[in-house]
Amino acid sequence: MEHLFVQQKHEKGCLGASAFLSLCGFLLGCTIGAWGQSTAPAVSAGTPFSIRATHLLGFPNTKSNCNGILSIKENTLQFQRSAQPGAEVQIPSIQGVFLGGESKQVGGVPLKLGKAAAPFGSGRVISLFAHKKYDTLTVEYVDSDGGVHGAIFQLSKGEAELVRNELVTRGVSANLGRDQSMERSTRKVSHENK
Amino acid sequence: MKTSKRNVCICLAAMVAVAIASSGRLWGLTGAAKSSGSDEQWSIQVDRVEPGETQLAYSFQVATYEGLLEELNKTHQFKHVFREGDRKASDASKLLVLKTTVVAYTAGSETQRAVTTFSGATKVCVRTQLVTRDGKIVLDRKVDGTVRFFGSNLRATHNLARNIAKVMEPSAWSGSGQAELPI
Repeated sequence: MEHLFVQQKHEKGCLGASAFLSLCGFLLGCTIGAWGQSTAPAVSAGTPFSIRATHLLGFPNTKSNCNGILSIKENTLQFQRSAQPGAEVQIPSIQGVFLGGESKQVGGVPLKLGKAAAPFGSGRVISLFAHKKYDTLTVEYVDSDGGVHGAIFQLSKGEAELVRNELVTRGVSANLGRDQSMERSTRKVSHENK
Repeated sequence: MKTSKRNVCICLAAMVAVAIASSGRLWGLTGAAKSSGSDEQWSIQVDRVEPGETQLAYSFQVATYEGLLEELNKTHQFKHVFREGDRKASDASKLLVLKTTVVAYTAGSETQRAVTTFSGATKVCVRTQLVTRDGKIVLDRKVDGTVRFFGSNLRATHNLARNIAKVMEPSAWSGSGQAELPI
């Protein structure tokens, strides 16, 4: 009986020690996680960031609808076409970054001709599958005179958010940007009716 | 005989001199009119597009704003086309402000247009107001921009900006003449 009591007491001591150890481990894990989170933006803020994008409109001295590399270096947002000098905007002049989504038909003129040539209007069926979703990144910035500019870039799905996050880590205010989901309901609001 | 020839020559010389003088005077007058016309030319400041109560995507608002600036510059009807917030606009003697508010918006689909042809159109209807510095509205119109068949949805903003620039003709907002507007 006495032996049994001693054994139980010993088990209780073991449980307490293991609970203490697991608590210490949990706290250590949390501390490391928090430390990692707090230092992550500081590390990424210094490194250059670049991504393929299509300039739709609005960036200074850049043609509309041209492909190139959108990059963030030090304090500037740059867009560079291949083998041409890039255009840039200072990050402190950026007032807001907005995300959006669209879908477009792919294939260009050859696919359009193919669809038109298909018999009995069957080319329309191809259109159901020949489309691609993409992200739009809208950047609003001011020039040296205070005039408001807007630039729109087209990126692959999910990449616009990366650029926005990168800009936010470099000091662009995130609360100014509002997300617009791709699935916008077809809605018509008329002031006349109100 | 000699004297008559001399008289004819003198008369011809006098006529040529008068013709040259009068043409020079006319040229001077037209030049003066042109310069006075350019003095009276108005500048315009384009404000950002207000979405109103619609769910117009921000990219559409920015595309319309940039399109308006481009199209108004193309028309050469205004001395300067300023952006919203441009400090140089305060120095302009005659300034009109273009305000654009979205009234109705129907989000279309390029895929739907490609498949069906008759549905999936993107339509934007805006109210355009041209306002003087003292708040007097000199033009108030509703303008549409639509993509029905070909092109991306953003093309609706390009069409819209072009239609607004067409409406901005001086004859539409100045009545009998620009000089009637208050400075």
